Amino acid sequence: MGKPKILDLVLKNLASKPATIQYPKEPTPVEPDYRGRHYADLGKCTGCSLCSIECPADAIKMTPIPSGYDVPKSNPRKIYPLIDYGKCVYCYRCITVCPFNAYISTNEYRLADTTMHNSSELSLSTLKKGGPG
Amino acid sequence: MAVTKIIEVPFTLEIPVGPQHPALHEPVLLKAYADGEEIVKVDINTGYNHRGIEKLCEKNSFYRDIFIVGRVCGICNAVHANAYVRALEAILDVTPNNRARYLRVLAMELERIHSHMLINAVMAENIGFEALFMNIMLDREKVMKAKEIVTGARVMADYMMVGGVRRDIDDVKRDKLRKLISELRPRVEYYRKVFEEDETILKRLIDVGRLKPVDVTSHGLLGPVARASGVKIDTRASDRYDAYNEIPFDVVTRNEGDSWARMMVRWDEVLEAINMVEYILEKLPSDGNPVPDEKKLPRKFPLGEAYTRVEAQRGELIYYVMSDGKGMNPYRVKIRTPSFNNIINTGFMYIGHTIPDLPVILTSLDPCISCMERVTVVDLEKNIVYKVSLKELGGGKWGSRRYSI
Repeated sequence: MGKPKILDLVLKNLASKPATIQYPKEPTPVEPDYRGRHYADLGKCTGCSLCSIECPADAIKMTPIPSGYDVPKSNPRKIYPLIDYGKCVYCYRCITVCPFNAYISTNEYRLADTTMHNSSELSLSTLKKGGPG
Repeated sequence: MAVTKIIEVPFTLEIPVGPQHPALHEPVLLKAYADGEEIVKVDINTGYNHRGIEKLCEKNSFYRDIFIVGRVCGICNAVHANAYVRALEAILDVTPNNRARYLRVLAMELERIHSHMLINAVMAENIGFEALFMNIMLDREKVMKAKEIVTGARVMADYMMVGGVRRDIDDVKRDKLRKLISELRPRVEYYRKVFEEDETILKRLIDVGRLKPVDVTSHGLLGPVARASGVKIDTRASDRYDAYNEIPFDVVTRNEGDSWARMMVRWDEVLEAINMVEYILEKLPSDGNPVPDEKKLPRKFPLGEAYTRVEAQRGELIYYVMSDGKGMNPYRVKIRTPSFNNIINTGFMYIGHTIPDLPVILTSLDPCISCMERVTVVDLEKNIVYKVSLKELGGGKWGSRRYSI
């Protein structure tokens, strides 16, 4: 029986440094346009609910904006799309169907979190606080 | 003294392989009956992964279904979406431009490369070759990265849309892809050589699960399984859908028909796919924007039906979509996946081989269990399991009986 063909490769790998990325300590390289976490910019959102209707995973629920925020006049019903990141499949259909291009997309892929499971904090941070509500 | 009593000793041992088994990566039950080491019969039992996707498609709109059918199977999501989207395009009478057709083929061929590399790595693992498994998976990262550059995600492409694709590539991305593919080619050639020459692999794979061409045609086997037995069947060559009529490629066939030939056909197809990707990156036409404006696509679908097929990594994948012209939802979506034929119909292949050969034969068929789960009717009154045709199910014959799906 001859020597295994892969022996050279194994010996080479033994001498080289590991290919494994120590993930939480060092980041994984991702493309800038990777489909990562996205949220609605409430300065542009009109509450038309089209993204909620089109979402294949039913991850978007239209939710009333809490009082204390300066809601633009273009959003008369004062509702915004709340994305459940646990349900979301990151197909970006909501972003492509939005008639006002109101979504902000990021390449953030590190979604494991103990506190934030939906887009409320990120979306509401796009609105100014103040006014009678 | 005359013999008054005979005690019958069963000479076969029933060995359940699966649904949870270290050699299997997805839930399927192969109930093997062994006489010593030799397998005398195999019962194939599926249904552990049935999710009712076809019904789900009827409950959702045409556009939501594009993303739902992509999730029938993770490994072959772009081909599923492509077949479905082409069916919608046939109903709507929409034609994508040339650039979009080329980009679709690019995504599908990248997917073919990573799927074939995966199953070859799994085969190496199943025959106890962990080092080879790890190395193939490491080089598979390159094609995953290429897919991320093209589609925006490593696995779930969500790339197909009625009238085109969902994102375009520019010159920077094209250069990155060229670099990745040029790095990948020598690695694939090396692994092909390992599979061709390594004695351990040859001893485990050659003459295991030999399949005659007549068995292929009589059992309706598809894809690389058929091509490894010398049956030249390839939807890309016979239908010439998307840009396959302009991109040159060869249909790889071998005549050996054993597990080794099936793996070698896959390596050769990876090399063909790399050639095709390089051709696409070289000759990508620029006749307009391949990305349709999804806000302006027609909301309502006219009355019509379409039947499309696509060469998935495991063989011919068929979609039938029917629109009744009334609503936003399809009236019927029928999916026929290649694994359905390739796994359920091949119980005869295991007979005569030993128990350790069983995972080898199953892996060489490239099982995709989540693709293949379909309806079986269990008659609770008579306690019998039926496989019924769709026509019978729809015809009301089963309406009065109690049955579970």
